[in-house]
Amino acid sequence: MPEVRCPMCSAPNPETADVCGECGARLKPLVAGGDLGLPHEEAGAPGPPPGVEDGEEDWLARIRSQALTSGGEEPTEEESGESPAPDWLGRLREADSGYEEGPPEGVLPEWMDEFIAAGDESEAAAAEDEGLEQAEQVPEWLARIRAKQAMQKAAIPEEEDWLERLRHEGEAEIPAAEEPPSEIEAMPPSEALEEPLPEPEAEEAVQEGLAAEAEPETLPAESPFFAEDLDALTEEMPLPEVQEEGPEAPPLAPEDLEGEALPHVPALVPEDQSEVPLVEIGESDLEGVELPDWLEDLRAEIPVSAEEPEEEVESPDLAPATLPSWLEAMRPTDAFRPEIEIEREEEQPVESAGPLAGLRGVLMAEPVVAKPRMATAAAAQLEVTERQYAQAELLQRLVDYEQQEMAPSEGPAMRIPFVRWAISLVMLVAVLIPFSFERMGMRGYPLPASISPDLAPLIQRIGDQPVDRPALVVFDYTPGYTGELSSVAGAVVGQLTQRGYPIATLSTRPTGPPLAERMFAEAAAAGAQVSHLGYLAGGPTAVQLFSIAPRDAVLSGFHLPREGEEKDPWAIEGLRQVQRLSDFGLVVVITAGTETARTWAEQTHPWIGDTPLIMVLSAGAEPLVRPYFEAADRRVDGILTGLPSAVSYRQLSGQPQLAASQWNAFGTGMLAAQLILLAGGAYGFISWLIRRAQG
Amino acid sequence: MRLGSYLLWAAVATAVGILVLLGYFVQLDAIPAEGWLQSIFQLRLLLMRWAVLLAGVALFVGLINLLAVHWSKVSEQARGWGYSAVFLLAFLATLILGLIFGPDSAAVLLFFNYIQMPVETTLSALLAITLALAGFRLLARRPDLISAIFIGTAFLVLLGSGPGLIPSGGMLDSFFGGLRNWLAQVSAAGGARGILLGVALGSIMTGLRVLLALDRPYGDE
Amino acid sequence: MMGLDFLGLTVLALMIILLVIYLAMGKRQAPIFREIPAFEALKGAIERAVEAGERVHFSLGTGSVIGTDVAPALAGLATLAEIARVTSLSDRPAVVTTGDGAMAILAQDTLRSAYTQAGALDRYRPIAARMLGPTPFSYVASLPTLLSSEDVSVHILLGAFGAEGALAADFGERQNCFVMAGTDDVQSQALLYATAAHPLIGEEIFAGGAYLRRDRAHLASLRVQDAMRLILILGILLEALLGLLGVDL
Repeated sequence: MPEVRCPMCSAPNPETADVCGECGARLKPLVAGGDLGLPHEEAGAPGPPPGVEDGEEDWLARIRSQALTSGGEEPTEEESGESPAPDWLGRLREADSGYEEGPPEGVLPEWMDEFIAAGDESEAAAAEDEGLEQAEQVPEWLARIRAKQAMQKAAIPEEEDWLERLRHEGEAEIPAAEEPPSEIEAMPPSEALEEPLPEPEAEEAVQEGLAAEAEPETLPAESPFFAEDLDALTEEMPLPEVQEEGPEAPPLAPEDLEGEALPHVPALVPEDQSEVPLVEIGESDLEGVELPDWLEDLRAEIPVSAEEPEEEVESPDLAPATLPSWLEAMRPTDAFRPEIEIEREEEQPVESAGPLAGLRGVLMAEPVVAKPRMATAAAAQLEVTERQYAQAELLQRLVDYEQQEMAPSEGPAMRIPFVRWAISLVMLVAVLIPFSFERMGMRGYPLPASISPDLAPLIQRIGDQPVDRPALVVFDYTPGYTGELSSVAGAVVGQLTQRGYPIATLSTRPTGPPLAERMFAEAAAAGAQVSHLGYLAGGPTAVQLFSIAPRDAVLSGFHLPREGEEKDPWAIEGLRQVQRLSDFGLVVVITAGTETARTWAEQTHPWIGDTPLIMVLSAGAEPLVRPYFEAADRRVDGILTGLPSAVSYRQLSGQPQLAASQWNAFGTGMLAAQLILLAGGAYGFISWLIRRAQG
Repeated sequence: MRLGSYLLWAAVATAVGILVLLGYFVQLDAIPAEGWLQSIFQLRLLLMRWAVLLAGVALFVGLINLLAVHWSKVSEQARGWGYSAVFLLAFLATLILGLIFGPDSAAVLLFFNYIQMPVETTLSALLAITLALAGFRLLARRPDLISAIFIGTAFLVLLGSGPGLIPSGGMLDSFFGGLRNWLAQVSAAGGARGILLGVALGSIMTGLRVLLALDRPYGDE
Repeated sequence: MMGLDFLGLTVLALMIILLVIYLAMGKRQAPIFREIPAFEALKGAIERAVEAGERVHFSLGTGSVIGTDVAPALAGLATLAEIARVTSLSDRPAVVTTGDGAMAILAQDTLRSAYTQAGALDRYRPIAARMLGPTPFSYVASLPTLLSSEDVSVHILLGAFGAEGALAADFGERQNCFVMAGTDDVQSQALLYATAAHPLIGEEIFAGGAYLRRDRAHLASLRVQDAMRLILILGILLEALLGLLGVDL
């Protein structure tokens, strides 16, 4: 079964229902002049609704009668008693000119077309010409309208035909909102909001009037538009009866209305004192309602009738809207809406659309609800403690800080390293100056007078070894230590080449073989037997493997001649009989690191036999290697550390001495280092004293 | 790494480590030429040779990693990509020359003698200046007794290590020379020995953690 | 009779037994270790670096996997695992450099494990662990470029270093980095004491795992080290006393 949605609460209802089962709103608007299935005695004069009992007083009729009485009009027979049903509906139908919008273009009923075509002046002639046939077809209400208009036109010749006007209005766009009545325009929108609420005394009168007049009617509890409180409200403020149409009333189809009556609910009912008296419509109530021109003219014609109700208004049966005391107490102290003055019924606007069309006292959707308005300051006032206020302020500051664009952080200020530059300059000058000692006529540093007691045995040991067994020289240092170790090891290498040892070089570092080649280039060029065994990969493990089986550990050499048997690193005269480490006559390890020295000392010990192991070290490695030399079960047979020892070694072995510039540069460099340490110590001590004094 | 594969690799690492470790506690001259001991000894040697091979391969892998890092810097034009480009060019040039002419050829030795060695020697000289600067600022930055002893000891050793403030051949030279020897060979050596013992203990425990699979440097997922 | 180093085997067995005992004790008797200022300062420095979006550079040294250099490098790996885990979700995760190819592979493995534990495996990049140079000074020569281009603010040197370690520490000081350095070489320790702001002396480098990771294995091994050190001290004193008394062992 198809359903109809309620325009008020959107609740689904059967299509045949006229009133919403949830909220009681009309589902089918009341149509003027249409047969809505309402039993009525006369056409145009709607009879009482089916559900209304004779004993009930229709509040609309009452209102109407009061209005007519106040206006000096007496209710016609059609409206009193015989027709308790609201006759305003019938008047609305008769008026048929109260709607603003004309019939849509091209959708005029046939009779309207004929009427329009005939024109005003030819209306009567056309009616006469058509004779009875048309008279039978034109409804009575239309005939009355025509008669009236004829009278009006006779009175006001220059008045336009309403139909012509209507046609023009229908063809043209919907006219812009006409200017509201002057009273309405003069009244500021907020006036109504600022009107004070009715006093409690008036509320009681309203309650009494409502209680005496109307029967309570409960509203469906399920309606969303009616809160639970409203149920309580209705107990004290019984709502007036709502016309209930018969549930059996069949729905009207559009074709039923064609040719019968205009299926429109006139928004406004013109004042027509000669006809059925209509409910007065005050101009002040027409806020937001667009009035056609002809209605404006009509209103202007009957100023007296509009003003009269203001003077002779009686207290309506429906008491002005006032709030009961308990409801008044629930209202916030700072009202969202200011007090609203309840106007008199006659001044209240008539609802023009919707299911409540034609009723007075309907709450206006605008401007109370729909129009936004600013809450008063008092309404928004909260109780905030000092602490909360401070926290809120802090939070606001944090949020603002987050939104601030962070300035790019400046990099650290470039510091000029004065101290570093100064020390570098001092060291450079100290090392370079000795190269000009001779030119400056200065004597350099004297050679060391005290000779280490370890040098003589070392020289003796190397000198006593038979030269038929080759010497293994291990270059286990990085190129960075070339400056020191080439000077220190040069003394030992010089003695070895001086004695004519066959030399085999080895290294556990990839950069070792080039250093060895560089060291022995001059000797090799002089005819010495030098064989570079190359790079021994594997660290301490490889040292042990080499110690066990040298020929298995080293398969190819470095920088060897490419022809003949000399491609084999073991092919030179002195190396042919070498099968193990102990077959070497001497092992010299040149290194700058303590770990390398200890590795060779420990890994070779089981296999070196009686072959002396000589360590040529950087000055910093001596403390940790000397124990191997000084131990009871010594694993190192000779040690040479530092440039002073090398100078002394050369002195004792009768080798050419180092260049004077090299020894002098060493001396001045040491001097500069000593002075820098002294200055640093003094600077640190003074800084400590100052900090201590400052606390 | 799944539990099964993890246990397998942990077992391999433990077994190899124990085998090599125990070899250090066995005097090799006591190992007979035949028998199971000789087999174990040969197996140990084999494992050590494999370790040497792996070290060489690891060097190769490290070079590949180095190339990849610098290549990505150049391709992304990250900060300092110019230096990476120079490195790549030098690397390729040295590699190509070494492959074509051999690592001991005159061309490669030219690179070594005139580029690598001077650069590394310069850095070593820079080390001397850095240490002098560090000695100058040490007491100001860390004014405590240990720093004062450190500076004092360094100064005394310098005094006795060569010519400088004190000329050679005098009584002072002999005195400070002997003092220097005592400091380096007794005091410093003793302290170094103690540190070395602690370092040795730490090294042993680090190795034991690996052997007993308590520490897994080979991945732990 | 087969020659065996009984003393060595005895010491080794004793250390293994003590390790097992301390592992079994676990945290029932929580060890009390002295405070190492370098590790305490390191925690704060890493937190600041993570918050500031700066990078941590970790150097495992120039030593090789084969040889005695591997011990401090393995100790450095234990510390690296913890630091990598903490910095894995940083805007700039840690970068690891070594002077050896095999050590670079180990570092990659450790990084991947740390990222997996932190649930950030997608942020792991293999080039985060790299070999800078095959020789010590070539390794150090690459450090200034790395420190400046990667916006390093924490410079950690834990591994096998020679004299070049002093240069490496000085480069970090020039960049105003937090510098913590430790190695097993005594000579290098002396140099690092003068150049690094937070040096590790002696075997403190091997305590990184226990102080930072606080896992049972590292705590137990550190307790074993302390116990064995005490035994060695007593043994040295006893032998010295006996030597003075003319008793030759």
